[in-house]
Amino acid sequence: MKDINLKINGKSYRLSTNEDMRLIDVLRDELGLLGSKEGCGEGECGACTILMEGRTVNACMVMAFQTDEKEIITIEGLSNGEQLHPIQQAFIEIGAVQCGFCTPGMILSAKAILDKDTNPTREMIRQGISGNLCRCTGYAKIVDAIELAGKLLRNGGNNCEA
Amino acid sequence: MKKKGVGIGSTFYGTGYGNGFPDVSRAKAVLKEDGKVAVHVGATEVGQGSKTIMSQMAAEVMSIPLNDIIFICEDTKNMPDSGTAAASRQTYNTGNAIKLACEDLRKKVIENAFKELKLNSSVGLTLKNGEIYLKTLPSKNISLKELALCLLKNKELPLIGEGSFTAQTIEMDEETGQGAPYWPYTFNVYGVIVEVDTETGLIDIIKAVCAQDVGKAINPEMIEGQMDGGFAMGLGYSIYEDLGLKEGKMKNKNFTNYLIPTALDVPELEKFIIEDPESTGPFGAKGIGEPVMLGVAPAVLNAIYDAVGVRITQVPVTPDRLLRALKEERRE
Repeated sequence: MKDINLKINGKSYRLSTNEDMRLIDVLRDELGLLGSKEGCGEGECGACTILMEGRTVNACMVMAFQTDEKEIITIEGLSNGEQLHPIQQAFIEIGAVQCGFCTPGMILSAKAILDKDTNPTREMIRQGISGNLCRCTGYAKIVDAIELAGKLLRNGGNNCEA
Repeated sequence: MKKKGVGIGSTFYGTGYGNGFPDVSRAKAVLKEDGKVAVHVGATEVGQGSKTIMSQMAAEVMSIPLNDIIFICEDTKNMPDSGTAAASRQTYNTGNAIKLACEDLRKKVIENAFKELKLNSSVGLTLKNGEIYLKTLPSKNISLKELALCLLKNKELPLIGEGSFTAQTIEMDEETGQGAPYWPYTFNVYGVIVEVDTETGLIDIIKAVCAQDVGKAINPEMIEGQMDGGFAMGLGYSIYEDLGLKEGKMKNKNFTNYLIPTALDVPELEKFIIEDPESTGPFGAKGIGEPVMLGVAPAVLNAIYDAVGVRITQVPVTPDRLLRALKEERRE
């Protein structure tokens, strides 16, 4: 057992974890944060993508003990109560969600792209989400949505009509 | 050397179970006490958008805002069976059942309205924008919400409309090949330009277009999403995805070697929605779920043939398969 301190979506947690526990297990099984999905479990599909210290990681490839004193953002940390994050709003607006399994990871990869640059090229967007597999959408609407999200962020809100 | 080639792939596809097999969809439309309409239907939403387009259809028939439709699916206790979300059949088959159920409810709403309005008959009464009114004297009117309240008071709720749709198909005669195994058919065509690297065997898709017959587009944005998705899946099938089956065992069972196209592998697809309303379809609509992926592989393989003169007959066209085929071609 190892005790860890970590900050998830701005909230501090102190947890006792097994050595063989992965971050995805902590999130889903210990804390009930079911937004992050486990797809392949071997770091290939990106469904469990979360932000750790501002960078995208696959939560299935990070051991729980490695997250000690780390700051983590999951899909649950994006909206502000009922107010959706501009990226979430843009995904809905464009129709970038089909079955939805890749969506939480995809949105966090989008956040990592837009945190660096709110006006990325389509190529930069494609590069940034290339670690997130999607079987339904063909990615086109996802790229469109991230472009729109960038525009919303530049305008400082999530009003798609503006 | 890099060589360019152009290819097209055109398909037609019969949607539904087909071949005389009973293909039945059922639906129920229920007027609620707040004037909203609940649609109960056993049509599974798997991300294709059935909830959205079927709510749109119900809202259209009932002439109420989309937000006033309560769509209830995927709980077999509360709904009639509408068959599987398979065979590209939900838009056409279950769409028709929902349309029939809502038309039945609409009729019942009008019959009840004429009693509430104390008219001689229901002739000339219509339902539009949530109001039931007499066309010849619009001041004779009652809103759906008011009517629902009246019916609630008289203990006449819930008011239920029912619909059942069975597709018309006839089993093919094995001897003569005659019959009408499917209805309706959906048509499409893909066009691609590829660049083949004859040194590495790698194939690059430079440009791709798709024209998809949809009957009538209920939700164009979602149709585009289906086209993009079908294209990506078809592309994987054409040049990437190989299970590596050997004596019944899969060699490539991880995403490290079973390659699904990533955002970097899928080029932008130029999309054309072709509308030619199907007379038996709900508002003219047809299913496109499977058809959108069918034409991709033929188009890509034709383009490879155009580029390097080699006719490949096995998918996926992996680099080693293509290089082997080029080598054999040179030998002959």
